[in-house]
Amino acid sequence: MSLAQYGFQKLVLLNSAGYSRAELPLDDSVSIIAPNNTGKTSLINALQFLLILDKRHMDFGAHSVENSRRFYFPDNSAYILLEVLLPSGMAVIGCVGKGLSHDYEYFAYQGSLDLDDYRLDDGKLVAQPKLIGRLFERGKPAKIYPQADLRALLYGNRQKQRSDDPDLTIFPLEFTSQAATYQRILTRTLRLDRLDSREVKNYLLEIFKNDLQDRSVDFKSEWDKSFADVNYDKSQYDTVFRNKALIAAMEDSQQTRLALRGKIILWRPLIEKGLNDWEDYNNSASEQLRQRLRALDEEAEALENRQKTIYKDQAKVETALKDQKKIELRYQELNIQFQFVSDLAQLQTQRQVLQEQRDELVRSIGNAEQQQSPEAIKRNIAKISKEQTDLHRQLASLNNNLYLQLQKLLPTDSFDLLTRLLAKSVLSLPVAQGNAVELNDQTTFRSFAEKLEERLSANRLELPGLLLDLSALEPNLTIKTAQELEAEINDCEHQLTESNNLLKTVETLTQQKQRQQEMERRITELERDVKNYEELLSLQAGASERLQAIEDLEQKLKALEREESVLGEQKKTIVQTQEIHKADQKELQSQHQRINYARHQRIDQLPPFNFLDQLPNLPCMAAAELAMPSLADCIESYNRDCQKLKQIDDQLNQHLGELHRDGVSKFQAQDSAEQELNSLFNYTAQLSQEQEAIERKARSAVVQVAAILRDLRDSLETFKRRMREFNNKINRRQLSDLKVFKIEPREEEALVKAIQTLISTSEQVESGNSFDLFDHNAVLDDKDLNKAKDTLIAEGEARGGLRVEHLFRLVFIIAKENQTPAEFEDIDSAASNGTVLMAKLITGLAMLNQMQDPRKAIKTACYLDEAASLDQRNQRNLIEIAEEFGFTLIFASPEPQITARYCVPIGTTKGKNHISRLNWQILETISDVGNQP
Amino acid sequence: MTIDFAALTQLQPLFKLLSSGAHLNRLKDTELWVELENHQNHYEALFAALGFVLIVDGRGFAYFKTELASTYTGKLTRRLALLLMLLFEYQADQGLHLFQFQQWRLDTPLLGKLWQQYYALFEAEEINSPKTLKEILDSASRVGFLVFEDEVYRLLPAVHRYLDLFEELAQAERPDHDHIKDEAKEDIL
Ligand SMILES: Nc1ncnc2c1ncn2[C@@H]1O[C@H](COP(=O)(O)OP(=O)(O)OP(=O)(O)O)[C@@H](O)[C@H]1O
Ligand SMILES: [Mg+2]
Repeated sequence: MSLAQYGFQKLVLLNSAGYSRAELPLDDSVSIIAPNNTGKTSLINALQFLLILDKRHMDFGAHSVENSRRFYFPDNSAYILLEVLLPSGMAVIGCVGKGLSHDYEYFAYQGSLDLDDYRLDDGKLVAQPKLIGRLFERGKPAKIYPQADLRALLYGNRQKQRSDDPDLTIFPLEFTSQAATYQRILTRTLRLDRLDSREVKNYLLEIFKNDLQDRSVDFKSEWDKSFADVNYDKSQYDTVFRNKALIAAMEDSQQTRLALRGKIILWRPLIEKGLNDWEDYNNSASEQLRQRLRALDEEAEALENRQKTIYKDQAKVETALKDQKKIELRYQELNIQFQFVSDLAQLQTQRQVLQEQRDELVRSIGNAEQQQSPEAIKRNIAKISKEQTDLHRQLASLNNNLYLQLQKLLPTDSFDLLTRLLAKSVLSLPVAQGNAVELNDQTTFRSFAEKLEERLSANRLELPGLLLDLSALEPNLTIKTAQELEAEINDCEHQLTESNNLLKTVETLTQQKQRQQEMERRITELERDVKNYEELLSLQAGASERLQAIEDLEQKLKALEREESVLGEQKKTIVQTQEIHKADQKELQSQHQRINYARHQRIDQLPPFNFLDQLPNLPCMAAAELAMPSLADCIESYNRDCQKLKQIDDQLNQHLGELHRDGVSKFQAQDSAEQELNSLFNYTAQLSQEQEAIERKARSAVVQVAAILRDLRDSLETFKRRMREFNNKINRRQLSDLKVFKIEPREEEALVKAIQTLISTSEQVESGNSFDLFDHNAVLDDKDLNKAKDTLIAEGEARGGLRVEHLFRLVFIIAKENQTPAEFEDIDSAASNGTVLMAKLITGLAMLNQMQDPRKAIKTACYLDEAASLDQRNQRNLIEIAEEFGFTLIFASPEPQITARYCVPIGTTKGKNHISRLNWQILETISDVGNQP
Repeated sequence: MTIDFAALTQLQPLFKLLSSGAHLNRLKDTELWVELENHQNHYEALFAALGFVLIVDGRGFAYFKTELASTYTGKLTRRLALLLMLLFEYQADQGLHLFQFQQWRLDTPLLGKLWQQYYALFEAEEINSPKTLKEILDSASRVGFLVFEDEVYRLLPAVHRYLDLFEELAQAERPDHDHIKDEAKEDIL
């Protein structure tokens, strides 16, 4: 060990941390020896005030910085002093309490540390206000430094130093920007048992910071930034695509709208003019119609009158004709009737003959009418015939009849009686055997007659029970003689003939009367015939005239009929014309109404119609002419067009609004909705090109994002390289019994892979020949890419930005001799306490060394508490490794560690700790002793 | 150590997930994972106070270590162990690197092939059809060993636990490592 080695020489505490005075050598390894809770750790911690300076980085374990200030700077004569040999010479850095509120301040000067400089002659310590003066007196022009300035001095930050300041760089860092990290590690190094793997990672990252792309990548915002356009375009594209049907319909509507506008522009002045002219037109047209109707009415009336006349004439002619025809018919009938009559005389002769015959008959009938009735005559004839028959019988039975027999046989009285009693015919009956009257016993009969006579008295015949007055009875038969009888018979004969003739006459009288009547009838007939014949003759005379008259009448009738039918036609025509005119009138009225209504319905005074010609339109090429009769139709259709235009306006606006709400915003920047629509239609027409453009953009966005990720990945590679170097550094000597001790980064597979996916996609895109590698040839739809993106976004969001340290974790790889290396995440679990302690220390020192400027090695100190846990071999090893990294080791333990060069026990007097040079025990190997000057 | 509850913003979801016996996976539950990473000490201490041993594995998963296993989880563990072991064997035979298991796609054809090759072993465990394999994977998905997306299963980092176990078992095969066998029986769930 050469004296000339730059670095810490000793640490001195005066009236601080429970020490009245402590002098600790730091130019070589030290073993501080004291029982627990004496002040070993607090002694070493005092260095923090000088080396860390920044209170925020100081670490006093369980003690707060506040308490520590009180502990280290109880009053204004408390000192922490460090002597250090620098290339510019020996220098002292000090920290003195200010008393008030345990504050302190820094000072430094060039020169060696002489405790007498701080002690007054009376043995008291110099108080802070007098310190600079005192040092100056002692030939050591010290300067007070604000904390930041001293820090700049110690860490070689030249920019922050004043030129007249001495070079007090204790920690010549390669990058002064790493001072904070260095300090933090240094703090830890003082208390290495606390160093954990996470800190190791953080420190290593800070150490290698300058080699790494140290920016935090806000991947999501980078992605969003790069893809903002793409995503926007894509969303526009998607929305438009989704709404293609609607947009097509809108385009149709727009086309219709342009045409409608053209049409309305064309028609508007015509309608205007038409409406102006309408009143006049309407008046004149309706007047004309009225007049025409009136004329027609008159005409119709005239026709009517004429027709009436015709009807009357017709009736007259018809009657006349009928009459003539009747006469003619009569003539024809008569002609037939008298077909066989040659002249009138013939008929008159016939009538004469007949009249004479009738007169004859009338006479004979008059005769017959004097006589009885035929019935009386017939009765008379019958009576006479009977009388004649009686007479004949009387004549025949004149000898033999009952009367005679009785006359012969009976007395007169009896005879008389019986002739009265018996009927004449009975008396006239012949008596003979087998006849009606048989006289079988004349005697008996005579007796009977006598007996019967006896019953008679005074013409009264008394029979048992019956009394007959005979006086009223005539004697029935008086016997006539044959001559008398024959005369009587002749009489009867004559009377009979007479009566029969009479009967005949009387009986034919009815017939005769009938015959007379017949004759009378025939005479009347003949008289009529005569009259008729006379009529025939007169008719015959007028026949030709009559036929002429009939023909004339028929002609006339026909003429009348013809005229009448013509009149009917004319009337029909007039009625039709009237109807037409009335319809026209009605139509005109309705048009007038419609026009008035439509006039009020007009909306073309309101926007947008009042500036329609300034809006895009399709000029209407159709010839437009407005005839007044079609004004109503025109204005109505015009109004309808206006309505329709308004409707389309509304509808298009509404649809556009819908599209806006659905997210179509790309074209909203256009000056007008109309232009927006046009742009939209153009865009829609070129969707496939748009898609390609989006795809192109997406690819360049991927390239852009990938560039940022590439930095990250490169940083990771660099870090891995640095770690290999770092492992070499800590493996220069074997650590404990470890064959392998490495700290290796392990990639977070998924993240690195995601980054790789993006980068390789980007490379493929850049090389431009591998579109077919993507699903559907589209970057935007690439599944792996999207997954990678999502992974990175999730990670970035969870961690508030992607950094290189998120891409790996550190593992400690440890293996003893004959063991396969094992990975440990937590260094504490990797091996035994002692080994872990060593590993930590070496790692920490290596890290510090890594930061130091290798050209300006200045040896500083580090601290191993509880050093007893290391065996001597390891202690020695550690001392050497620390040495190599530019550190002297300070062991602290209740027992002395003989591997150290100095053994420094802490003494206590009057409750105060103290260490003086005199207590230092220097341990030297034999060879070392030999080498001592 | 004083635990700052206000800082532990994800305590509730974390505890809910872990105490259900599920595994927290770095990739699947990034936010929770980062939270755990940032406040690991605090969470460990807090959960320890509640009687749970939080294990955070740097390979990207975390879980509560349990000694006791219900019969259900015991059965699932056993079946999943068998399935994964055979899967690893099969994939190794295909020349795939086991540590890249997170990139494997466990789709129906692959499960079919597994079934074809090892049905005898599966049936011994009363796994009677490829459908049951899927059921096992579904159950395992619920406790964070797998994730099912895009119609395929993917193994999550938590499967390292099984892989570690298999390695230990493999080492235990060697005669001088008999004692590891017993340790390896610890229930993973
Ligand atoms: N920063 C500090 N502020 C206030 N008091 C402190 C501080 N550091 C140490 N002390 C006090 O100083 C005394 C000595 O503690 P220290 O840690 O230095 O003992 P030690 O010798 O290191 O003990 P051990 O062998 O147990 O480590 C203790 O009473 C402690 O409370
Ligand atoms: Mg101590």
